[in-house]
Order: sequence, then structure tokens, then C-alpha cells
Amino acid sequence: MHKEVLLVEDSPGDVRLTQEAFRDANKSIRLHVAADGVEAMAFLKREGAHAYAPRPDMILLDLNLPKMDGREVLAHIKADSVLKTIPTVILTTSEAETDIVKSYQLQANCYLTKPVQFDEFASLVKIINDFWLTRVKLPLQAVSGQE
Amino acid sequence: MLPENNTLTPVHAPPLATEAIHDLSVREDAKKHLAQMEGKYRGLLEAAPDAMVVVNEDGEIVLLNLQAEKQFGYRRDELLGQKVTNIIPDGFAERLIADDLRSEEDALTQQIGAGIELTALRKDGSEFPIEIMLSPLESAEGTLVTAAIRNISVRKAADKHLAQMEGRYRGLLEAAPDAMVVVNQGGEIVLLNVQAEKQFGYRRDELLGQKVTNIIPVGFAERLIADDLRSAEDALTQQIGAGIELTALRKDRSEFPIEIMLSPLESAEGTLVTAAIRNISVRKTAEKQMAAMEGRYRGLLEAAPDAMVVVNQGGEIVLLNVQAEKQFGYRRDELLGQKVTNIIPDGFAERLIADDLRTAEDALAQQIGTGIELTALRKDGSEFPIELMLSPLESAEGTLVTAAIRNISVRRKADEHLAQMEGRYRGLLEAAPDAMVVVNQAGEIVLLNVQAEKQFEYSRDELIGQKVKNIIPQGFAERLLADGLRSAEEALAQQIGTGIELHGRRKNGSEFPIELMLSPLESAEGTLITAAIRDITTRKRAESHLLQKVEELNRSNEELQQFANIASHDLQEPLRMVASYTQLLSRRYKGKLDTDADEFIAFAVDGASRMQRLIHDLLAYSRVGTKGKELLNTSSENALQQALLNLRGAVEDSGALVTHDPLPMVKADEMQLTQLFQNLVGNAIKYQRSEIPKVHISAAMDGEDKWNFSVKDNGLGIDPQYFEKIFGMFQRLHKREEFAGTGIGLAICKKIVERHGGKISVESRPEYGSTFHFTLAGIERRS
Amino acid sequence: MKSNGSDFKGIDVLLVEDSPGDVRLTQEAFREANRSIKLHVAVDGVEAMAFLKREGGHAHAPRPNIILLDLNLPKMDDREVLAHIKADGDLKTIPTVILTTSGSEADVLKSYQLRANCYLSKPVELAAFENLVKRINDFWLTKAQLPPHEQSETEISH
Repeated sequence: MHKEVLLVEDSPGDVRLTQEAFRDANKSIRLHVAADGVEAMAFLKREGAHAYAPRPDMILLDLNLPKMDGREVLAHIKADSVLKTIPTVILTTSEAETDIVKSYQLQANCYLTKPVQFDEFASLVKIINDFWLTRVKLPLQAVSGQE
Repeated sequence: MLPENNTLTPVHAPPLATEAIHDLSVREDAKKHLAQMEGKYRGLLEAAPDAMVVVNEDGEIVLLNLQAEKQFGYRRDELLGQKVTNIIPDGFAERLIADDLRSEEDALTQQIGAGIELTALRKDGSEFPIEIMLSPLESAEGTLVTAAIRNISVRKAADKHLAQMEGRYRGLLEAAPDAMVVVNQGGEIVLLNVQAEKQFGYRRDELLGQKVTNIIPVGFAERLIADDLRSAEDALTQQIGAGIELTALRKDRSEFPIEIMLSPLESAEGTLVTAAIRNISVRKTAEKQMAAMEGRYRGLLEAAPDAMVVVNQGGEIVLLNVQAEKQFGYRRDELLGQKVTNIIPDGFAERLIADDLRTAEDALAQQIGTGIELTALRKDGSEFPIELMLSPLESAEGTLVTAAIRNISVRRKADEHLAQMEGRYRGLLEAAPDAMVVVNQAGEIVLLNVQAEKQFEYSRDELIGQKVKNIIPQGFAERLLADGLRSAEEALAQQIGTGIELHGRRKNGSEFPIELMLSPLESAEGTLITAAIRDITTRKRAESHLLQKVEELNRSNEELQQFANIASHDLQEPLRMVASYTQLLSRRYKGKLDTDADEFIAFAVDGASRMQRLIHDLLAYSRVGTKGKELLNTSSENALQQALLNLRGAVEDSGALVTHDPLPMVKADEMQLTQLFQNLVGNAIKYQRSEIPKVHISAAMDGEDKWNFSVKDNGLGIDPQYFEKIFGMFQRLHKREEFAGTGIGLAICKKIVERHGGKISVESRPEYGSTFHFTLAGIERRS
Repeated sequence: MKSNGSDFKGIDVLLVEDSPGDVRLTQEAFREANRSIKLHVAVDGVEAMAFLKREGGHAHAPRPNIILLDLNLPKMDDREVLAHIKADGDLKTIPTVILTTSGSEADVLKSYQLRANCYLSKPVELAAFENLVKRINDFWLTKAQLPPHEQSETEISH
């Protein structure tokens, strides 16, 4: 059973890094990418081109996004009765306390700071995979469009 | 007429000149001759029936007779020498004088034969109408005029009367509703009225003078002429009152039927014939219709399947049909005029006669429609049962009775037969094990048997006539009534054979479940419905009992499931404690206590972990049922892949070779299918001695919609005696030291397969390996 | 993150668990995993709320960095604790991790709906349990950013 992960990240470099890290950690993960908040919401709400998008098992959300920033996305996700149960993990560069507090206030499931070094990053991804995608019990809501 | 001193000479005879006879002796002879002539003349004059007056050129009366005296009421000597104008104030005297310019002859020529009508004056001043006839008389005194004076008072009166009559007659004529035409002996129309104009489409003046044959081509004109040999009166006597039917001809050449009534009319012109002409087209049509009706009636009568006999108020047969002839064995003429009692000895004839006091209609009113059963008598004396239907028939002869006579011998027999059948049926009914009730179309019980009495706890007479609804409150009664719109047969067609479950109600009000079987029954009263009523209390009880049992079973199953769930779940926690702490103990104190302690702890740890595993497996087993998902179209190949992924470790460690054929789409719970493959393949890898495990999975189509899967291994194999046992719960064939496992694996596989509606089995040869087979449903074919 | 002036980054974990055996196990497991953890225990929902709100005997309780919550609790309905925490404007930012034997999907979904940060199923076997605790430690108490002990809006208690 594949796990679907939505990565909301505008930096293509980071996207690539994440992809590589996940590939190493867990081959059965499908990584979807949204480059901004608007696209992220479209994906989650299955609008337009994303009409057949799968429901992610987890969302990795960068806070600094163009158009609609990550906090707004987080707020939208956690306000939506259907989307709010998807574990949304903030994965962003900021270490600022305000950001951390704000995110938890907006009910982010967890806040992670992106390590600067790649091998640390890879190890973080591994842990994410190990914890969230292996051990954590994820909610199973009615999924459509999947086998 | 004789002049006084002249000899009697005709008018044109030369006058005798009185001078010629101066000789006394001649004069004496002439006087004697004259006296003689005078006497004769005087005699004639006196004898004349009319008044005679001779008037000289001065208009003085010189001679008159007795009649004149009488007519005018004068004495002779009172009139002699008087002016004639005293008795005839106007008229001929003047004319004579006036006419002096012409010769008397000429003047007279106009008057010869022609009477002049004048008014005369009597002595007493009264007037009377006269007709005078003038003739000249030559005499010594000149031309005298002899006037024969006829008192035409009567004739005048008659004329006046006639004129009056004529006027009145004319009025009648005009007012007459019928066309009236008066025809003279020449066959010409002398008079007609406005109706005649209308009827014939002519104007009066177009018809007056016309031959009546122009409007009535045939008929009475001829008769008149033909009858000319007798007097018209005689001829008419035959026709007086009797209308003659003829055909009349309109101006536009169209014809129409008429009836004429002739009557004579005396007139100055002679005997005229008045014809009242009545247009009888309507009557003729009615008559034709009547005739047709009569014809039709007669036709009907003849065609009637039953014997028909028409009887008059005297009880005599006036009409009959061929069937009547046949039925009674008589010829028509033998029956006509006969008393109907000859063929129907009793019954309706008497009634008719007896009922003569009231109108036939009243009498019949009782019998109309209802058939009366009587006995009829044939010519040969044999009897046969009949049914009579009477109806009145108005005719010119008064009220007649039409009797339709039906021979009911056959029906009688049928009735007998029916009664017999009924008897037999009744017997069957009584003997029936079920309650039987027969219901009519009004929903009333007409028949029932003793079982019905018992079932419903009523006595027979309490139920007969009752509405069936009283014993079966819902159900088939309504259907019967509701179905009144269609025939009962159609309604039943749906119910025949199938039992209907309803409730019956006993006399005491208690209800019980019943099953009805309906079937139609033809009878004289129409279609009845026979209902076989079966008390199904016991059956119902058994059914509900069964249902109850099933429910109980289901419930107990559920409880079992729940129990298994709770048990496993609640057992976990204490178990965890035991297992975890013994492990901790073992970990921390191993080697720190004595060997016994180590051993004891080891057993405890082992026991606990085994218990944990057992409970875990038990949970897994019960979850197959409780956590099972809907069976959807699943790729069994994907499920196998996932299972192999999960077995990755075992596969790598053992170096096993797992191969498979292309696997189909099946209806399955994907997770459970994965579990199934995982267990089977896992076993195949596990139960090996030394060889490299080789496992092959394949599937073959079995029938239209099933797949037969096979998991073949080269492992240890299984002794046939254990083929069934291995699928049991916690059944192991090996020691714990040899192979790990709780023995739940195959039990889980079996439960999964059975949940999918399939079957699982094994074939094996010890030392050669085993092949596990299981079936799964294929996906539905999409059309 | 400051705690009573000390710059030693101590982590306060509130464990809401009624089974003393499990409490001990958890303690042992955490001890193995991370020595700087201070494990606080509330044996039921009522006590948990009192601790969090610093009521009664818990007037001086520290604000936990993370809450480990077992669902099978006596007295207060399990989910109620979670709901109360996440309804409280101050308490809701504390990551609340469900750690419970119940693996029922309904419980999982309900917990996420009530805004649990994550849901973990307590393994039956000791080793697996120890491993999980280690993972919790690795992730939440090492890698994850947690909101600070004290927040500017709340009273700072000693």
C-alpha cells in the first residue's frame, strides 16, 4: 500500500532533495508536489486539473510560499472538516519561536526545521518516514480514486 | 193569347182586319167564333199555373187570369184597366216602350225563353220576386204583350238560401283542414279551397275548370263517369263515409297518397261531387311501418327459439309460431282459435280470465319477467315441463297476451343433476379436513362444512348468510368486492393455487392465523368462491420458532465475536504486563540470580509470550469476520505482491524462489487476500527442511465465474490424515521447537476463503510438498 | 526554552495513563531513550486537566512540552481530555500524542478530528514498545520543534 505525501514547497531544489531523501527511505511513497498555496489547496480540494488527485496521508508544508503562504494553507486545512485530519507537518527553514507557536496554534500536527546539511536532511526525512509513515496510525477516511 | 175582339192568331199570322168584317152576319159569325175562341183562350188563361196578364201598348192591363188575381191579391175588376206598373213597378213595361225603336220581334227575341226577374207588388203593398216571360199578341187593339208571371219567391228564397248555403259552404270549404274539391258531372273542378291549392301546389284559377284527373289521375272521376248509368247518388251511396285511397299528383309532378271522402252536392248546375282529400302520406308511412313492424314481429315470432303463443282476452290462441307447432305437436291451424288451456291445462289461462276484472296489464304486472313453471300438454297427450314468460301486447283487438313458452325438461334434468352434484359436493365439503366456506359475490357465506363450524366456533346457521368478513376480517372478502368490476374468475385467476395468509376470527373474538386457498364455483346463483381455510397456527408457531432460533444463533454468533474481541482485547493488558516484566526481569537479572531463577523466569517469559501470540492470533482470527471489508474488484496479483513485500525478510533469509502465473481480478477484500497469500506463502517457506523453498502460485478458471488458485510448494508435505485438522484453530503438527507459530495461520486462511464464498483444501505428499487450493469469485462480466 | 532559570534543556512529558505497569514501562523506556526527560504522570483525565491547568495540588506543575495520552481512561471519557486540551486556547499548542492499545480506526479518526497531533498504537511486546518510545523520543523530543515552555500570554509560574 503506497503512501501519498503532499509536499508543498516552492523551491525546486528542496523539492528534489526531498524526493531523493524519500526515495532512499521508502520506495513505496508517492510524493506529490504543489509549488504554492493555491495549487496546494486545489490539490487537496481536487479542483481543476487535480480532479483525480489522491488524498495525501501526510502533508509536508513549507511556510514561505508565494501567492498563499503556508500559514494560510495550514489555517485552511485545519478549518476544513475533511482535510483537518490529515497530519500536516510544517517543514520549513524558520526556527523562529513565533512561527513555531503560530503553527501549533493553527493546529499543525508538528513543526520541523529544515536542516542545512543534506545528510541531516536525509536523516530527518528518514525519521519522518519512520515515525509518521510507519509507526503513526494515520486516519483512514473514505478514499476515492484509489484501489 | 187571344186578343179580345180578334180571332186567335199566331204572331206571324197576318192580322185580321176588323173593317173587313162589317157585315153583321159576318160579324155575328166572327163574334160567335171569337166568343168560341175567347172561351178557349180564356180557359187556357184561367188554367195556366202562372199568373197571366195581357198589357196593351199603354201599359194597361186588358186581361188577367185567376192566378194573377191570387198572386197579386187583387180582384179582376180592380186590375183591369190598371197600369201594369202598379203591380210590376219596373221592368218590362219600360223596356217595351224603350224598345219601341226596334221591332217588337227584335225586342222580344232577346226575351224569348229568357225570364226577366223583377219585383212584383201586391195589393197589400208587400213585394215578391217574379220572373216574367213575355210574348206579343196581335190584336185589333194593336200589339198586346202577354206576360206569364211566375212567383219566384220560393226559388228566390231557395236561391238566397243557396247563396247563403253557398257562402257558408264556401266558408267551410275554405276552413276545411283537408283539401276540398268540388267536381261537376263533367269531371271538372268547379270549386276548391285553399288547402287544395296548397296540397296540389296549384293556384285556384289554375285548377278551376280543370279536369279533376289532372290532380287525381285515377279513381273517382272514372267512377263518376262509369257510374253515370246509375244516378250519382246511388254511386255515391257506396262511397259515402268510406274513404277511397288513391294517389294524387302535384303541380310539380310529385305524387302523394291520399284518401278521398266523397259526398254529393246538389246545385243548380246539377249534382256536384265534393271530395274531401286527405294527404295520408304520414299515415301511409305509419301504416307501412306498422306493416313492417308487424312483419318484423311476425318474423321475430317465427324466429324465436321458444314457442310463442299470443292469446286474446277470451283465452283463445290468436297467433303462434313454428316452435309452438313443434313443441306441442300441432299444426298452426289446429291451434289458432283454440283455447290455450288445451295446451297448458292450468296456469296462466285461468289467471287471465280470472283477472279479467282487472286490466290485463295489472295481471301481467305480477308476471312480467318472472317465469312461471307449469306443465304443458302435447297433441299426443304427453306432458312436459315448461316455463312461461308473459307480456302484454296492445292491438286493435284489445290487449293480447304474448306467452314465451320454454321447454324446461332439460333444465329440470340439469337441476336434478345439480341437486345430485350438490349432494355429492356437500358430502365432499363435509368430509374435507380443512374448513370449507363458499361465498357469493356479495361476500356472504352460502355454504360451509362442519370443520368450519369447529374452527370458527359457530353453529352452521349462525354463519350462513353472514358476511365472510365477520370471520376473516381482512383479505379476500375485499378482493372479491373490489374485483366486482371484473369478473370473479379473473380475480381468482390470480389467487388460484396460491395460499393467502390472513387471520381468521372466532366467535369469541380471538384471532388465529390461516391460509386460504380459493377456487371458483359456477352455480345458478353466479360465480361463487370456495375457500379452503387452513389453520396454520402450528405452522406459524414453528416458523416464528425457527426465526427465533435463527435470531438466537445470529445473536450468539455476534456475542461470540464480541466475546472473542473483548477477550483478546482485555486480556492484552494484563498479558502485556506479565510478558513485559518477565522480560525486563530476564534482561536485568539474568545471571544475577541462581540458575533456577533463570529457568523459572525463562519459562514465565516463554509462557507469557506464547500467550501473547495466541491472543494476537485469536484477535487476528476474529477480525477476519468483524473487520472484513466489502468484496470489491481486486487484483489478486497486487495482493500477492504486497504479501511478498511483507514476507521480504523471510524470503531473503531462506533464499526462497517465489514464482507465479498471471493472476486474475477477483471479488475480494484486498487486505484479507494479502493476508491469505502471506500465510500460505509464509507457510510454504517456513515448513522446509533443507531445501531451498520453491513456491509457485497459479490460478485457473473454474466454470463461468470462479477462479481456482493454487499455492504449490516443495516443502515437508502433510500426512493425508491431517488434511482437515490443519485448518482447525490452533492445530499444530510440529513441536514448538521445530517450528514457530500458533497454528492459527491456516484457520485464518480458511475463514478468509469462506468469507469470500469459496472453499480451501490441500493436496500433499509427505516429503514432496503440498499444494493448497482455494476458490474465489471472479469479477462480473461487463456487457 | 527556559525552565526555572536553568539552561538545561529539560523536557517535561505529561503521561496520562491509568495502568501503573504501563507507567513503569514507559518510564523505563524513556530512561533508556533520553535521560533529560522528566516524566509526569496523571492517572486519569481529571488529574490530567488539573495538572495542565495547574489547579489544586498541581499549582506548581510545569507546562509539559508534550502530552502522551492513553485513551482508555476511567472517570473522564477518554476523548474528553483530548477535546478539553485542544479547546483550550492556551493548552492546544502542546503536542498531544495518543498512545493507546486501541487500534480501532474509529478511535484513530476521532482523535485526529479532535486535533490529536498524532496517534500511536501501543505495541504488545516489550521490545516493540521500547522501540516505539525511542522513536517518539527521536522524533518529537529531538527533531521536532516544540512550542516553548512558557508562553507570553500565560502566567509564568515558578
